[in-house]
Amino acid sequence: MKRKLLSMVLAAAMTGTMLAGCGSSGDTSSAPASTQAPAAATEAAEPAAEAATQAAAPAEGDPSQDSGEIYMFIASPEYADAINTLIDQYKSVAPNVTINYETTQNDYPTMLKAKINSGDVPDIFSSTSGKEIDTYMDYSLDLSDQPLMDVIDPGVASAMASPSTGKGMYGIAIKGNYFGLIYNKDILDKAGVEAPRTMDELKAACEKISAAGYKPFTTGFMEWWVYKHIGQHFLDAAAKEAGITAGELVTSIQNGEKKLEDYPIAYNNFFDFIDLAVKYGDDKPLETDLAGEEQAFATGQAAFMLGQGAWVEADVLKIDPNIQIGFQGYPVDDKAEDCQVITGSDQALRINKDSENLQAVLDFINWWYTSDYGQSWFTDVAGVVPPIQSDAKSEFTIIEQGKAEASANGSGELAIVDSTDAYNQVFGEAVQAYIAGTATREETAAALDEQWASIDGPQAQ
Amino acid sequence: MTRKQKRILGKVIMLAVLTIAAVFYIYPVYLMFLDSLKPFGEVIATPVSLPKEPTFENYRYVADKISYWKLLGNNVLITAIGIVGIVFFSSVAAYICDRRRNKYTGFIYTLLITPMLIPFQTIMITLLKAMNIIHLNNSRVGLGIQYWGFGIPMATFIFYNFMKTIPRELDESAHIDGASTWRTYISVIFPLLKSVTVTVVVLDVMWIWNDFLLPLLMVNSNTKTRTLVLAAYTFVGQMNTQWQYAMTGMVMAVFPSIIVFIFLQKYIVEGVVAGAVKG
Amino acid sequence: MVHSRRKRKEKLENFLFTIPAVILVCMMMYIPFVMSGYYSLTQWNGIAKEPVFIGLKNFADIFTGKSSFLAALWFTIRYTFFFVIVSNVAALALAVVLTKKFRLSNFYRGIFFIPYIMSMTIVGFIWKFIFTSGFKTFYDATGWGFWNLSWLGDPGMAFWSVTLVGIWQSLGFYIVLYIAGLQAVPGDVIEAAYVDGASRRQTFFKVTLPLLGPSMTTCVFMSLTNGLKVFDIILALTKGGPGQSTYSATLAIYNEAFTRNNYGLGSAQAILYFLFVLAVTQITLRGMSRREVDL
Repeated sequence: MKRKLLSMVLAAAMTGTMLAGCGSSGDTSSAPASTQAPAAATEAAEPAAEAATQAAAPAEGDPSQDSGEIYMFIASPEYADAINTLIDQYKSVAPNVTINYETTQNDYPTMLKAKINSGDVPDIFSSTSGKEIDTYMDYSLDLSDQPLMDVIDPGVASAMASPSTGKGMYGIAIKGNYFGLIYNKDILDKAGVEAPRTMDELKAACEKISAAGYKPFTTGFMEWWVYKHIGQHFLDAAAKEAGITAGELVTSIQNGEKKLEDYPIAYNNFFDFIDLAVKYGDDKPLETDLAGEEQAFATGQAAFMLGQGAWVEADVLKIDPNIQIGFQGYPVDDKAEDCQVITGSDQALRINKDSENLQAVLDFINWWYTSDYGQSWFTDVAGVVPPIQSDAKSEFTIIEQGKAEASANGSGELAIVDSTDAYNQVFGEAVQAYIAGTATREETAAALDEQWASIDGPQAQ
Repeated sequence: MTRKQKRILGKVIMLAVLTIAAVFYIYPVYLMFLDSLKPFGEVIATPVSLPKEPTFENYRYVADKISYWKLLGNNVLITAIGIVGIVFFSSVAAYICDRRRNKYTGFIYTLLITPMLIPFQTIMITLLKAMNIIHLNNSRVGLGIQYWGFGIPMATFIFYNFMKTIPRELDESAHIDGASTWRTYISVIFPLLKSVTVTVVVLDVMWIWNDFLLPLLMVNSNTKTRTLVLAAYTFVGQMNTQWQYAMTGMVMAVFPSIIVFIFLQKYIVEGVVAGAVKG
Repeated sequence: MVHSRRKRKEKLENFLFTIPAVILVCMMMYIPFVMSGYYSLTQWNGIAKEPVFIGLKNFADIFTGKSSFLAALWFTIRYTFFFVIVSNVAALALAVVLTKKFRLSNFYRGIFFIPYIMSMTIVGFIWKFIFTSGFKTFYDATGWGFWNLSWLGDPGMAFWSVTLVGIWQSLGFYIVLYIAGLQAVPGDVIEAAYVDGASRRQTFFKVTLPLLGPSMTTCVFMSLTNGLKVFDIILALTKGGPGQSTYSATLAIYNEAFTRNNYGLGSAQAILYFLFVLAVTQITLRGMSRREVDL
């Protein structure tokens, strides 16, 4: 009997501890997690807080008067070091503000959705710009009346407007960007060709480069996003030919009013270009990813690198510091003036409009964009294309040449943001199937028309 | 050929096949280690060749950058909590489900193992919502507890299937001697589960130690609660990945779990030799 | 009286010993699964504050609309078929060899297990390099056309590459399970078979293998569920490409829910797929356990 009793008690105790464990563990266990950071922060902040209370009455928009925590959950961990430096610097401006910075690239959109739904909306979060501005509209603050409006690059600002109304500015950017054709100057010199600006020049150049013993293209066709970066140059030229903007062109297909085939440059020329890139490109085009592309380009095997932009330069230089890089738009038709680089920002940092600490968040981003330190941060610390109007010289060739190209030939619209990445991914996969030979040009175009409407069309939202 | 010669030949062939298979296995791992000794340029340009100047610079950088020892502690804490709970709760459940076969236990067993079929990705959003309500998120201990729930299905399944091989006469005689169900479990059954317990521990340690999605969801928001694998992933960016650091981070994250494996591996063998399963 | 009290006590014990596990599993898996099941009845992008209730429309859409989900399902079935067979045969063979006593047997066991614990992103990255740079080196050395195929770039080949890496990655897991099973086979039974004059092969197939029943059930069941849930390895290696040739069912669901922002539709697919997996594994499990031999 005694033993039986014991077994009962033990079993009951076991269940009890377990239940209690679940109930209390929340408090006990979250304690180490949440106290550590704030504890350190409070210690550091306390003297400063006293100093602050002795000073003048708080004025709105003065970072030194702000206090509290800002939760920043953004993608792009490649800028983690730079952002941590920025946050450290901000500590000296706003000693009572703690910025909790979290980043991941893998599964970012999923994580963001999970956080939003659990009620833990980050104060600053990422999305793509353009079409996706509307997707997160429920949570996003319009920044049109903020001081940073005066300095932001107009190209960046336009990608942050709501695409459905064309108004507002629902985000800022960590960086601007340049998209275009990257080439190896040495190889072009050796082959005796100028950088081609029309399709015919490109074909001639490919033959000569090939004859000189180099591979004309390295394509990165294993990555779905390479296609959207290439495709947008053709969309721009097609829109120009039709006398509309690229945004209008994309909308017309999304609404089902037009088909891709109605825009010859976006259809024929684009697929011709892909055919050419496959013919003169990597041995196994669908097996070459970004790393493979960087390898082929930076080791001097291939003359043109497709679907990339300003971001690859640092990596390429790490492989060959002496490589001579050229940068321009894509040859898309027979008009040299259509060969334009594209600039803008395809990533947006959004501000949660229901943030508990809205003033502190706004002060932070305004400081980032308008203070001397913040402005120099883009080129000096992060090494990116500044998303602000700035004369700062960059040490990167692609950025400088992109700037020169844009002022000489103008720059194209950032058409990738007129579609969501959900569509852009389908677009890439469809062109991959075309390259693999499992779908014809017509089938691919028909599938794209349908998918564009079903993913990004009016009924999808 | 004599029988002895045949046996030797068989052994040679066996070892040869084994070695080929092992090469196939070790080569990618060897590459990972090799690439962790190179600067970025070499990783991309010549991924499969030997490093020109092998350097442990990446290790120094990564250890410093992610505060390695601190995060190692997190991994140990989370894994230890997870393992203890998984082994305990699933072995007692499997014990009852196997020894008292009736409608109720049959139902419970099915209930416990079915979640193995749920793809984790499909419950991520709602899981965080639920964990937020009971405050198990943003905490290392909380994460350890969550692993109980995620680990129980597989562990129960393994324990249950192994439990079948333990003769019922053993617990029946214990019962006749007057031992309670609990007592029988502790002093008769659990010792016999030694080798399968080690197996479950090995599988679950490796899984929890190197898991990515659940920690990303639960403990990534604070650099102090992160796990090693999460930290290694911070070198992976959208279009710029610092592969040399990512490799190094991964080697450093995986390494301790391999040590644990080798250690436990010996234990499995010893456990069996010591006659844990007498049949 | 005594009898019924004992019955009651047994019932209570049954309850107390199993309830903690049940509560935990419900908390972590069933409740979130049911919660996300609710969204299958809504039109929701995963972001908006108010999901729109649309009843069973999502389910109707799956069955009526033409969907790329079927292609992903077919891919998954083929993958699982090869994955289960090759994993189990290879793991059992290796486990038999590795339980023999010879020098370095522990070392070999470690080697086969390492891939299981490596991060998928890195596995994917390394294998991409092997398929491209590594195989090119082998091709230059041997001249065998086999090395020069586009392993990841050709839609047909990509299937085999993914399957190969999938098996490579998880084989260690099944080896460990089989080793545990083999070591539970009592030595005296095997000894007795030898004494009776059975050859090694006969002993293995007639004695050892039947006694491995529970291990085999475990491994087949696990490999079946893991094969049907395949996700990470594909994301790391091909991201479903080239084209959409290597989309698995779970990757398709994930994409629908999170990339295309159709969380409602994605949840509906997840539920249907769950039922499908449940049916497949139940049938297999029934079939397996009927053949099992109890000691």
